[in-house]
Amino acid sequence: MFGLELRDLTKAYGDQLAADHVSLSIPHGAFVCFLGPSGCGKTTVLRMIAGLETPTSGAILLNGKDITGQPANSRQFGMVFQSLALFPHLSVGENIAFALRLRGEDPRRRKARVAELLELVRLPGLQGRAISQLSGGQRQRVAIARALAQEPPVFLLDEPFSALDAKLREEMQGELRALQRRLKITTILVTHDQREAMTMADTIVVMGEGRIQQHGPPVAIYRRPANRFVADFIGASNLLPVEILDGHTVRYGVTALRVGATCGVGGAQATLAIRPEDLILTRAARGEDNEMAGVISLVRDMGAYVEYRIDCQGQDILGVATPRDWIGANPGEIAHVRLPVESCQVLAR
Amino acid sequence: MTTADVAITSQASGTRRIGEPWVLAGLLTAPGLYIIIMAVVPAFLMVQLSLAHREVGGLWSPGFELTQYRQLATPLFARVMGFSLLLAVAGAAICVSLAFPAAYFITRMKRRAQVAWLVFLLGSLSLSEVLIVFAFQVLLSTSGTLAGALSAVGLLAPGASLYPNFPAVLSCLVYLLLPYVILYFYPALSQLDPEVEQAAATMGASRFSTFTSVVLPMMRGQILTGVLLVVIFTFGAYLTPLVLGRPPQWTVAIHISNAAMGAGNVPLAAAYAVAVVVFMVALLALTRLLSRRRGAEA
Repeated sequence: MFGLELRDLTKAYGDQLAADHVSLSIPHGAFVCFLGPSGCGKTTVLRMIAGLETPTSGAILLNGKDITGQPANSRQFGMVFQSLALFPHLSVGENIAFALRLRGEDPRRRKARVAELLELVRLPGLQGRAISQLSGGQRQRVAIARALAQEPPVFLLDEPFSALDAKLREEMQGELRALQRRLKITTILVTHDQREAMTMADTIVVMGEGRIQQHGPPVAIYRRPANRFVADFIGASNLLPVEILDGHTVRYGVTALRVGATCGVGGAQATLAIRPEDLILTRAARGEDNEMAGVISLVRDMGAYVEYRIDCQGQDILGVATPRDWIGANPGEIAHVRLPVESCQVLAR
Repeated sequence: MTTADVAITSQASGTRRIGEPWVLAGLLTAPGLYIIIMAVVPAFLMVQLSLAHREVGGLWSPGFELTQYRQLATPLFARVMGFSLLLAVAGAAICVSLAFPAAYFITRMKRRAQVAWLVFLLGSLSLSEVLIVFAFQVLLSTSGTLAGALSAVGLLAPGASLYPNFPAVLSCLVYLLLPYVILYFYPALSQLDPEVEQAAATMGASRFSTFTSVVLPMMRGQILTGVLLVVIFTFGAYLTPLVLGRPPQWTVAIHISNAAMGAGNVPLAAAYAVAVVVFMVALLALTRLLSRRRGAEA
């Protein structure tokens, strides 16, 4: 296979499994985001790919060749660390040229490559600048240029934007995506920021408890979460405890709800997942399927949208509406919420 | 935590910040007075004494004469200063070359091993210098373990001793100072971000080239200070060269003592001491100048 392949990659620290049989194929030139909460094993997997951790079992293949036993300095995958790990005793140019100098490249070629990379990350002419004289965003760009200097087969980034403020983070995310598209380099980014993963990745790999919970295109992950963990972690979800009645019906409290498809047999306990933006709120009952009455417990006008909570049979259901669709109801009033059949997904509890 | 975050609470005035000038002045009074009484005043007295008139019988009377300073411009004093500097530089070179990698490897060990090493190093400091020097004397003497072992394998003539000589002085000074230097490097090296070394590895650097091209240059300031620390300690060494060396291996500290206690010329001893202080200050200034220049070039 042309690209990177992880086969049953496992990493154990004593009794603790940091990565548990992780298998994944990443085609050449793809942008993949490993997404998950702290301690889910995403950084461990990235570090195994870089060669900074030795897998307990499993294999890593690059373009079909097993590289599991290769140390990091032989793999030479460009990596941007969370702390950036720039060398403070070297100038910007010397940082970027570090790998090229180790490789014994001609000084003139080195100089030309540094200038080219600084141009690429939009920092032309800063070769001689000390690292301490750079802003946070500039340091980020230097770290990216340094990792790309050796023209790595795989580009790895470990939460590189976590220390930046929101505005700069968004700017850098856009720049990195554009750069990756231009260079067509296989890129793996580790993040716990869903927004970052959703906006940047071709493929999101959701990790939880050391395992891959789901992987696929961002929209597919969002619209069709594979399990309760993914539904809960990616975006906001209403997770209602239900009982399966038949192949297309579940019961929530006293209300029977029609769904696209169920999992499990009749009588089994399951979870119904529905996104807040899929709910339809009305003041009066319309007598349609999947409609429930509830008492509005909270309304928050966020400007761009209105967030509301409705107490339906003992559980708050979260919904969002655009200001144009907002029904103007207040907390304490009765409203009706409809769960469109096509938006309801039944997951194992 | 910044100093401004530290609050001192007193019943009378409530919460006061350390950053407030009068609080700072209050906190600095005791150490300030101590430094003035124990360092500045003796230094002033030493200068005054070096300019005093020497009387017979080890006495002196107040005055302002440069007689003793003229004696500094002799080949003997130049030789003593030269030897002291050689001993200090050699000691510093050996100590830092051994201590830096040792501290580096200790910081890369597991926490429990690190603690064990630190306890061992701190424990070794509890031994008295006198005890160590005389233990070295026994070890290196004709009947000592080391000399005996070397004689047994034919590397040393029977009945020969491994002291008094320059290597004996140097090795004992290195032994005395090594734990201090390792403990000095330990905090800085343990704070070195491991990702910096990992970044070098991902760029193709071996462990050795990471150490030489990343770790060592990043710690240049600490290494330089470590060298100065050993130079200052060794320059003033007294007991070790006295016990384990011959007169040619005596440092300036022994000559100061001999001038004051042996020859009864206290103003000359004071002039020697002033010369040593001036030399040390000049050395520190030069080092600082060099490190600044290198910093600016970088």
